[in-house]
Amino acid sequence: MDALDTLIQPHRVHRSLYTDDKIFVAEMERIFGGAWVYLAHESQLPNPNDFIASRMGLRRLILTRDDDGGLHALFNRCAHRASTVCQSECGSARRFQCSYHGWTYSNRGELVNVPFAEGYPPDFDKADHGLAQVPRLGTYRGLIFGTLNLDAPSLADWLGPAGPLIGEFVDRSPSGRIEVRNCQRMIFRGNWKLAWDNAGDGLHPTFAHRSFLVLNERQHGGARSLSQFKASPDDTGMYGLDLGNGHMFVDQRPGLNQSFWETQRPVPGREWYADRIVQRFGDEAPDVLEMAPGSMVNLSIFPNLLIKGNTLETVDPVAVAETRLHTWVAAAAGAPDEVNVLRMRIAEDFPSLGNPDDLEIFERCQEGLAIPEVEWVDMSKGLGHPAEEVAADGVRRAPVTHEGPMRGYLRAWLELMSADAKLTTARAGETSFEKAA
Amino acid sequence: MDAPAASVLDDRLYQRLVELAAPDGAERGPGRPDLRSGVEQALHHEARLLDERLYRAWLDRFTQDCVYWIPLDPAGDPRTQVSYLLDDRRRMEDRIGLLETGWAHAQEPPSRTCRIVSNVEAWPLGDGDTLARCSTVVWEYRKDRLIPFASHNDYVLATLGENWSVRFKIVRLVDSRSDVRKFSFVL
Repeated sequence: MDALDTLIQPHRVHRSLYTDDKIFVAEMERIFGGAWVYLAHESQLPNPNDFIASRMGLRRLILTRDDDGGLHALFNRCAHRASTVCQSECGSARRFQCSYHGWTYSNRGELVNVPFAEGYPPDFDKADHGLAQVPRLGTYRGLIFGTLNLDAPSLADWLGPAGPLIGEFVDRSPSGRIEVRNCQRMIFRGNWKLAWDNAGDGLHPTFAHRSFLVLNERQHGGARSLSQFKASPDDTGMYGLDLGNGHMFVDQRPGLNQSFWETQRPVPGREWYADRIVQRFGDEAPDVLEMAPGSMVNLSIFPNLLIKGNTLETVDPVAVAETRLHTWVAAAAGAPDEVNVLRMRIAEDFPSLGNPDDLEIFERCQEGLAIPEVEWVDMSKGLGHPAEEVAADGVRRAPVTHEGPMRGYLRAWLELMSADAKLTTARAGETSFEKAA
Repeated sequence: MDAPAASVLDDRLYQRLVELAAPDGAERGPGRPDLRSGVEQALHHEARLLDERLYRAWLDRFTQDCVYWIPLDPAGDPRTQVSYLLDDRRRMEDRIGLLETGWAHAQEPPSRTCRIVSNVEAWPLGDGDTLARCSTVVWEYRKDRLIPFASHNDYVLATLGENWSVRFKIVRLVDSRSDVRKFSFVL
């Protein structure tokens, strides 16, 4: 592994970030252990004793809620011989029993039973043999994060200006809460950072999503989903933000000259459900309908959460050139049912019509990156440009087609990779919890 | 091009899909032999149209109130859950129109597919429609890979024989609980 700081230059990135197994292994430890990593949403384990499977990089977790409502992120690894102890994606359980030798754990991670206990050394203490767990957990507006890094900043400080933007996303629901439903699971043959580059990229829609733009123009006409990228996106006022700590924001709202609902592509059931909303809500119907389409912003929380549309998409690395994308759909809690029915169909729209073109291009990038002698990936657009502004809180703002947000997340990447922080696990009862908002 | 038809998807149609997708287990006995050849004629013809990417001819075989649905496992009520896709006729036209733009990168080069349709069973539904179930494997070759997509498919056919037509098509991928390779052709 070359010295990391030579691999990221102000205007370009070395290909090995996408292709080198040793860098990937280090990322899975230092970034997906040292940063605050998104684990799940509270609505996915609403009741005492609920649990849901999650990951921190390649580490498998069981995120549990105990009978007092407390949250625990337990490593899915028996303290005895390492077998996973939970095979379900989600469910409800007070105990997890390893099927190999019967060691049994509470949903707080305590070892509660060892069969045939006779024969263990006299100093064998069950308290030393619980499930290892994530030492620091925190929530922000229902989103659950964890880190193995005791020296990491507080969750609120880590999120910084990204926190209030999470708030804006959640506050599109009348109750100020989202309810996470099920998820679409896709996998592509490329490095996880290709998805990350793309999340802050306002330059690609004009070209990568040309099929979608042309289709909408031909079939439906007028200003429709993504038409703000048809020509000269920077003239629309759309912008990108480098929020610090790797978080990114792309705001498409200035590119719309009509309501979200009017520009939303027609999805199945649009007419019947819109009519119902008009009948039920009369003059307020336009505000109700406005809750159905996506947020028209892309908020990316480093290193593994892309909030876009009405979805929470997790970026789950599998190997240096293989990545899972799990797209969890958020319903607006407290909104009329009609809004959430429309949200389900809208959440299938761009993902099934537009995302395949993104994934295809990620795989093409990975193919191109295989050439050792052509070493660099260019990310210079906007560097030193007069339109790039830095606000008092350090947030850097630039026209939407600039590559500043990508340069920003790579700075955070370099910091975490270079820090080599001490990562630790905790025993039951030794973890800390921060409710940041 | 004519303006696309308005969506006919309403709560009643959703309810019908939910009932259709509900497991009926041991209660549903073996299929009716007298329906099988008419159903196979339709399903084999459909497979050929799709393998040859004759998407407009395929779409012409669907009724105006059709639904083409690829649920996620476990299949729940599509009013409260997201699917891979749940298309009415308008969005099916969009899906085909997208491929016809010539700019769908995920289909450059296009997939070559080979569909195996098997285990066909059929039952009459009370209203003159026919329920058909089959096992399907779509082999997709594209670039350097040959990938299978295995599914149990349900069809509600409005007509059998020469003029066969489809009201509902449900594709239950066996691995939809897992990570699915992107597909940009019609399953």
